[in-house]
Amino acid sequence: MRESTARSLGLALTAAYAIFIVGLYVRQPQTVAEMTGALTASVGAYRIDDRAFADGLRFFRGDQFDAARLAFDRADPAHQDSRTQFYIAYSYYRQGWGRVYNDDALFARGLEAVDRAVAAAPGGRIVVDDPDLQLRSADELKAELQAGRRRELADLNPLKVFRRRK
Amino acid sequence: MSRTREAFVLPLLFLTVALLGGVRVADRLVLLPPPLFTLVLAFLLVGVLVRSGALAPERLMSASRSTLANVSGAVVIVSAFVAATQAFNVAIPESGLPRLLFSVFLLVLLLNTFAASPDRVRVLRSMLVIFGSAFVLKFIVLAALSDPEGGWLKRVLLAMLEGLTLGTLSQDLYRPATGYLAFVTLTLFVGALALLPPRRGGLQPWQDDPIRVELDTPTNLRTPTDPRT
Repeated sequence: MRESTARSLGLALTAAYAIFIVGLYVRQPQTVAEMTGALTASVGAYRIDDRAFADGLRFFRGDQFDAARLAFDRADPAHQDSRTQFYIAYSYYRQGWGRVYNDDALFARGLEAVDRAVAAAPGGRIVVDDPDLQLRSADELKAELQAGRRRELADLNPLKVFRRRK
Repeated sequence: MSRTREAFVLPLLFLTVALLGGVRVADRLVLLPPPLFTLVLAFLLVGVLVRSGALAPERLMSASRSTLANVSGAVVIVSAFVAATQAFNVAIPESGLPRLLFSVFLLVLLLNTFAASPDRVRVLRSMLVIFGSAFVLKFIVLAALSDPEGGWLKRVLLAMLEGLTLGTLSQDLYRPATGYLAFVTLTLFVGALALLPPRRGGLQPWQDDPIRVELDTPTNLRTPTDPRT
């Protein structure tokens, strides 16, 4: 191998490795599955488990949100798929939504999930084409979750009990 | 130094140290970025390596080399610096009084080594002792003291440190895998330091100093009153 070729190859390899390391430290994966997922996602080889995703979707539409999240977690153990993370966030929204008050803890976890979804999406843009959902973009869902956690005078409006879950 | 070592082996070894240096395994995986103080220590360490001849920057970057070769050499130096920050990140405890003591101790030790100007072999031995001792103190002694269940080592240490509260000494408890990873990281780091291109001809560091050279040359040992002159 020529010297310039060897050195160029070494530099390219080193640069790719350095970018991978910086990416890991920025993403802070918390499990080995997340770490390997981040690695495969960085080379575009990450795939979710379609069957587990379909199970999750079925549970989600049947309002079995805990079961849905378990299935979604199985489908996307590395939290690298934006659509799956969007549905996880949506499940927290629907489960935490209430006519009188919302469950702050569930909404907070929903916000974490929607942030993960945005981080995993190319360009941070997520639009899910699902007729079952009224909030089809991550921006709408995030705004709804944030509004649900906000304390304001309008919370005391008795007509609030007639609002509908999205 | 072979181009394979310069272009592939050293940067990849140092980057692996940089990757593993922040890994802590607890209930979940934690990747700790290096604290700012480790940058100071790493800077001093690179200085010590250059002064002792364990690292010859002129063999990595010089006017006689091609641009690509100089870039490749710069990558080795930068990756060595980054690896050094992470090696200190491994060696220094994460919190409390031990963190302060380790930081001060390492700073003084490096300054002392810098002032003493030892040769390459002695510096490498010194690195082995510094990182080996830090590993033992952090991952064996402090880990034993921080273990809530405790073992024979904790009982022995408590007997030795009778009357001392452990509140300021105890650290976050990590799984044993963290210690094994730290050992691999520090071994890789010291091994990679040994692979750095040394100063050619085995020159002693003090030979840069014209006064010392003059005094140590036998002909210059003669005084003006010497009858042979």
